[in-house]
Parts: sequence; C-alpha cells; structure tokens
Amino acid sequence: MIPAIGLLLGILAGLLIDVEIPLSLQPYLPIAVVAALDAVFGGLRALLDGIFDDKVFVVSFVANVLIAAFIVFLGDQLGVGAQLSTAVIVVLGIRLFTNVAAIRRHIFNA
Amino acid sequence: MVDDTASLSTTPDEPRRTDGPGGFVPQRPSGLSHLRDAMLAKPSRGQVVVAVLVGVMGFVAVEQFRASEEDLLARARRADLVQILDGLTQRSERLESQVRELEQTRRDLVSGADTRQTAIDQARARARQLAVLTGTAPATGPGIALTITDPSGEMPASVLLSTVQELRDAGAEAIQITGGNDAAVRVVAGTYFLDTSQGVDVHGVRLEPPYTLTAIGDPPTLDTALNIPGGVVEEVTNDGGRATIRQEDELTVDVLHEPEEPQYARPAPETGEDG
Repeated sequence: MIPAIGLLLGILAGLLIDVEIPLSLQPYLPIAVVAALDAVFGGLRALLDGIFDDKVFVVSFVANVLIAAFIVFLGDQLGVGAQLSTAVIVVLGIRLFTNVAAIRRHIFNA
Repeated sequence: MVDDTASLSTTPDEPRRTDGPGGFVPQRPSGLSHLRDAMLAKPSRGQVVVAVLVGVMGFVAVEQFRASEEDLLARARRADLVQILDGLTQRSERLESQVRELEQTRRDLVSGADTRQTAIDQARARARQLAVLTGTAPATGPGIALTITDPSGEMPASVLLSTVQELRDAGAEAIQITGGNDAAVRVVAGTYFLDTSQGVDVHGVRLEPPYTLTAIGDPPTLDTALNIPGGVVEEVTNDGGRATIRQEDELTVDVLHEPEEPQYARPAPETGEDG
C-alpha cells in the first residue's frame, strides 16, 4: 500500500515540480530509470510469488540502478557508450518482458 | 547483477529462489491473494523505504519523459537531422528572397512617393506664381504707389492705360488700381480701360479720380520709368492733373481678379516640354 502511494506521490511531484536535470547525469538517467523499472517489476513478481522481501528489493533496486549507470559510464569512457547502452537496454528489456509475463500469468492465469 | 527480485525463470509458479531472507513464506497458492495481503499489510520501515525508492523512480521517470519531449532534435537520427536542416535552409532561402523583394518594393514606393511629392511641390510653387500673375492671389513686396489726381475730371482712360503699360515695361509684377470711390481693380492680362462720363471703366468697374496705382516691382526702376520726359508724370501734368510717386519697401496688392472660363479658347494640345 505504502509503496503504491509512494509511486503516485513521486509521479505527482514529477508532474508538479520542474527540475532541470544536470547535464552530466543526462546520459545515465534513462538507463537508471529502466533498471529501476526492472527492479520494480521483479519485486512485483516476487510479491505475487509470495517471496517478496523488503531488504532484497531495496538492495536489488539500488544495485540495479547503480550498475546500469556504471556500465553506461564505463562505455562512455571506452568510447562504446552507445553500444553498451543498447546492450543494457536489451537485457533489461528482456527481463522486463519476462517479469511482466510472469505477473500476467499470476493475474490472469494465462 | 540484479537477480534477486527477478529471474529469467519461465516457470513463475515454482520460484527457484530459495535464498531470500524469508520474511514472506508462501502460504497460499494464489498470487493475487499475496498482492492483496501486501496491500493490506501493516506499514513497516521496509515498506517505507520501498515507497521512497519507487517514488524517486516515478519522479525521475516523469522528469525524463519531460526532458525527452523538450529536445526532440537531440534524439533525432542523423538522416532526419540532415533532412530537417535541408528543409530549414530552403525555407530560410525562400524567406530571404521574399525579404529582398519586399525591400525592393519598399524602396520603389519610397522613391516613387518622393518623386510624386517633388512634382506636387513644384506644381504648387508654379500655381502660386501663376496665381500672382493672373491676379487670383494677393501679392506682397517692394514697389511704388502712384497717385493721379484729376481735378478737372477729364483725364482720358488712355492715360491710365499708358501708365499701366509703362509700369509693366519697367517690370511691375502685380498692379492694382484704386479709385476715389473706393472701387479697386487688379490689373491682369484681360484688363481694359474705357472712358465714361464720370471717371474710367476698368474691366467693368467704374473708378473715379483720384486714382491710386499700386505696383510691385523694383521701386527705383518704376519711379524712373514714370518720370522720363514725355512719360506718365508729364502726361498727367499736361492734362491738368498731378502724379505723385511714393516708393515703398513693403506693399500689398490684395484685390483679386475673378478668372472667367474662356468661352472660345481652349488649351491647345501639348507640343513641347512646357505645354
């Protein structure tokens, strides 16, 4: 319940407050958001599986975001930032699909 | 790297993960009931932390959406950018040529207006000059005032005529004659002098002596022209009258002549520059 309210509050705050994203963060933010989404859907799936755990979720969330951003940063330093970003997005995308598919099975039994 | 909450397992009903800290032991098989339990669960610190994380994610995601909406160009592919640039270049060229055309039109209009204004000014100046000559406008300037008395009342009209002729010869530019009966006539091209029983008929106006001729021109020249031997002054004296000349620095000829529409004469077709 509280996480759902937190999500709503965050979205509302984002709609109401207009924050200029620092230029140095700009390449990493989209990847970080996708990584966070992956963690959230993973958490939702774990919840439906009945194996959800706060601590695990928090650790995985933070680690997901940081590692995704770090990979992109590394790619930028190596000169293959665009390719690595794509790679990260592809991997996270596949995981998202898988998790959403699992959630779907739980909810619709199909 | 991030495999605690989400696995690639395709059999979600049998989660492989067994290493969770075990806060949540599945008791019911239904996923939805887990969800419902979670929604109704008592608030705990862990939930608050999760809420904060999820909220931050929502916030950043919305900001990111907005930023993406703002700079479409930054995201466009190179081919699209080239096309957009092409379009903009063509558009700017079109607009520039339009600007040039409009500026040219503006210059034409301005110079045209100038030319027209000059023509109008010249025409106005010429109209003023002609108005003085034809007697339809008052005139002012240096000149002489000539008074001719005629005690005997027998001064012929020819004296006035020759006076006017003499004044014109000497360069008088505007002349008017005032009679003793306060009638006045502007002397123009069509002015005539007729003898009548009392005074003189000048262009249909009867004037009685004494006559005052106001002439605008070079005062000394006019004076000399009237005073030459056998001239106007002598003629008037011979007829028993008296002619007195007064040179003035500033005179006004303010009697106006009403021009009549010519009955027979029409302007001839233009043959030269000055029509």
